[in-house]
Amino acid sequence: MKVLEVRNLSKAFPGERPIVALDDVSFEVGNDEFLCIVGPSGCGKSTLLRIVAGIEGVNSGEILFHEKPISGPNEKITMIFQHFGLLPWKTALENVKLPLEVHGIPKEGARKIAIEYLGKVGLGDFMDTYPHDLSGGMKQRVGIARALAMKPEILLMDEPFSSLDELTASTLRREVLRIWTDPNLPTNTFLMVSHNVSEAVFMADRVLVMSPRPGRVVEDVKVDIPRPRVEHTRDPKFFDIVEYIIQVIEKACGGKLPGCEEIGGK
Amino acid sequence: MARKAQRSAAPWIMRRTHAFGFVIGLLAILLLYILVISTVNNPEISNLPYYTFRTFARISATYLISLVTALFFGLLAATTKTGSMILVPLFDVLQSIPILGYFPAAIIFFISAFKGAEIGLELAAMLLLYTSMEWAIFFGVVGAVKNIPTNIIEAAKSFDLKGYGYIRHIVLPAIVPALISGSTLAWGDGWFFMIAAEYITYGGKTYSLSGLGSYLAKAAYEYGDTNLAIILLIIITVLVIYINFLTWHRLTERAGSGTYKPIFRTDWNKGLAGIRKVAHMPHIPRIHLSFGFRHTILSTSRRRIYSKLEKGMAVVTVVALIFFVVTVAKPGIPSLDEIKQSLLIPEMANLPFYTASTLTRLTVAYFISLSIALSMGILAAEKKGFAMIFYPIYDIGQSVPILALFPILFVSLSQIFGGRLGLEVTSLTMLVADMIWYLFLNIVTAVKTIPDEIREVSQLIGMKGLQRVRHIVLPAILPAVVTGSMLSWATGWNTVIFSEYMPYGSKVLWLPGLGSFLDKAALQEGNTILLGFLLLIMTALVIAVDRLIWRSLLRKAERYASEVM
Repeated sequence: MKVLEVRNLSKAFPGERPIVALDDVSFEVGNDEFLCIVGPSGCGKSTLLRIVAGIEGVNSGEILFHEKPISGPNEKITMIFQHFGLLPWKTALENVKLPLEVHGIPKEGARKIAIEYLGKVGLGDFMDTYPHDLSGGMKQRVGIARALAMKPEILLMDEPFSSLDELTASTLRREVLRIWTDPNLPTNTFLMVSHNVSEAVFMADRVLVMSPRPGRVVEDVKVDIPRPRVEHTRDPKFFDIVEYIIQVIEKACGGKLPGCEEIGGK
Repeated sequence: MARKAQRSAAPWIMRRTHAFGFVIGLLAILLLYILVISTVNNPEISNLPYYTFRTFARISATYLISLVTALFFGLLAATTKTGSMILVPLFDVLQSIPILGYFPAAIIFFISAFKGAEIGLELAAMLLLYTSMEWAIFFGVVGAVKNIPTNIIEAAKSFDLKGYGYIRHIVLPAIVPALISGSTLAWGDGWFFMIAAEYITYGGKTYSLSGLGSYLAKAAYEYGDTNLAIILLIIITVLVIYINFLTWHRLTERAGSGTYKPIFRTDWNKGLAGIRKVAHMPHIPRIHLSFGFRHTILSTSRRRIYSKLEKGMAVVTVVALIFFVVTVAKPGIPSLDEIKQSLLIPEMANLPFYTASTLTRLTVAYFISLSIALSMGILAAEKKGFAMIFYPIYDIGQSVPILALFPILFVSLSQIFGGRLGLEVTSLTMLVADMIWYLFLNIVTAVKTIPDEIREVSQLIGMKGLQRVRHIVLPAILPAVVTGSMLSWATGWNTVIFSEYMPYGSKVLWLPGLGSFLDKAALQEGNTILLGFLLLIMTALVIAVDRLIWRSLLRKAERYASEVM
């Protein structure tokens, strides 16, 4: 059953030289699915995620959530950010509590939920700590707690591990997968943007490969490696899929080395 | 190929629009001058181009001197340990005391030294301009050099870049943006203080230097011609905007988008953390903020931590300096009797009242400024349409030399409120008009630099209106509000000296206060000992408020918000 459908989405940023970020992008995300979008930097994958989150507009096309078109932020779709997006002037607890209160949950109730979710991500002892005094991994845990506390159906992740060191990232990846499969949490559709192909293959059911700007979906790769994948990261199949996706990206880049493409809009 | 073509096309177009602006602006100004000279009926009006030239030359010369000395002392302070230990705290104290208060002392000195010759006046004027221009450039240079990211310094070391090569390829490019923003500020301050510098009343006698500022003062005070004063004010504003457009805006754009930006972008925060004693710019560049100067401006929060030794040395040097100025102005060290005689005058009994009046005036002006700046800043942050109207007004508004407003303001306000109250309202209006810009600038900058992710989070959560203001905008701009308050309060002390004591026509209008007491002591009575005493009191007050209130507030405000920046 599909939860989210992106239909013929196009997006351009106006300016002296308008930048076409996305060109006719379509895909579906099923219930319980973990979908990952990879592509060279500047291909519009983060823009795509922001459009789904409702914090960026579109030029044409539509987003269907449970078959109904949506525009603007939706409380059933939340997001975690590459640089965590925590408010520095609020404690971990206040950061998690804020969206709940904004959505009309009374103070005491919001507090209880926030404490519960901070506990779930292992930050029970750091409720009253300010982001400044938390490590990167802990900050992202607060970000995850804040997103999950809203009990969303879809969790969007914008390169959530790329500003963390590899050890922390690897721990958090497994924890995100645990959250995804946790029967007690209503959040079971994950949409993640990444430029790390192994990470995508390790986590996702399906990997969408995007071309350089203007971003298009060039390939939809099904990852049929059994879970838990920790046990299969040394399988030849794992490497084959990673290698295949890298080849697709290189082909989409037109033979240019990834990283040598024109970056930015200047 | 296509890319190459576009790259070279863009500057060409920019050059062309720039040249176009230059010619059109020059023609417009010529036209304005011809129009004014041919229509205005005033015996001196044909001297207008000459006055313009004199003022321009005076400010330019002083600016060049400021630039050279600031560069010299700045590099010295930033690269040598002893230099940093002596110069930075010294300059910091010097720039936070109301420098205009020392102006009467300087006038007394120069007029007596040159026996009233014009060169003495010219030097006094240039000294006043210099003291308003120097600090911004100096602290800009020091801040920029100290904030060169460690990785760039290490890279330079690994390529064995030393001596001249190091200065040429690392230091100079790094300080160019700071030089430009500091220069913008200095240049603006120069025009701001021009009127005070060119038209001096001392010992019941008026000394004036040829120039736009003195002409404006004469138009208002001697000819009593408000229309001419307004016309001159408009001319000065047009000139300031035109020159800003020609030079600083262009340079700012270039430095902001060109070679130097990456240096300031790379690991800025790490650079900050790595250097504990960062002497940040005390003044905030008054450049317009859309030019990508984010980091230079953000470096303004004064996070300097002094060692006890540095503080001690600075205090000793400042006291010595004050002593020097006062004693040189009145040859020979005054005897105890002389001091007694000078200080024990009947008006001394009013000192507490004067101090309270001035403090009240400043506080009222500060809160008016704060509430206007806050509401405008927040509106500009929340409503795009409002920002579009607000920023150009803001740009022009901050170019108006406020001291020149006094006669015009007083004439109209005294008609509404009556004499005494009119004067009080005029004084307050001038204070607000001066104090508000630092608050505006800081708030507007902070609003513009709220990180994208924070904005996105608030959007995603679905916060609106008051909720956004309370949870996102206000906390994000709080450190900037405190920094702005600090600067606006400091500049208020400067303006109070002028806004409480104003020559108007043949008489002098004054309000009871520290500022007017000081002016009277110096300019009417020539009582240098009293002047020195009042200066000490004022300086102590300024520094006390700065250390006790603003710095401790700043530390609190920055504790949690440091990460946003």
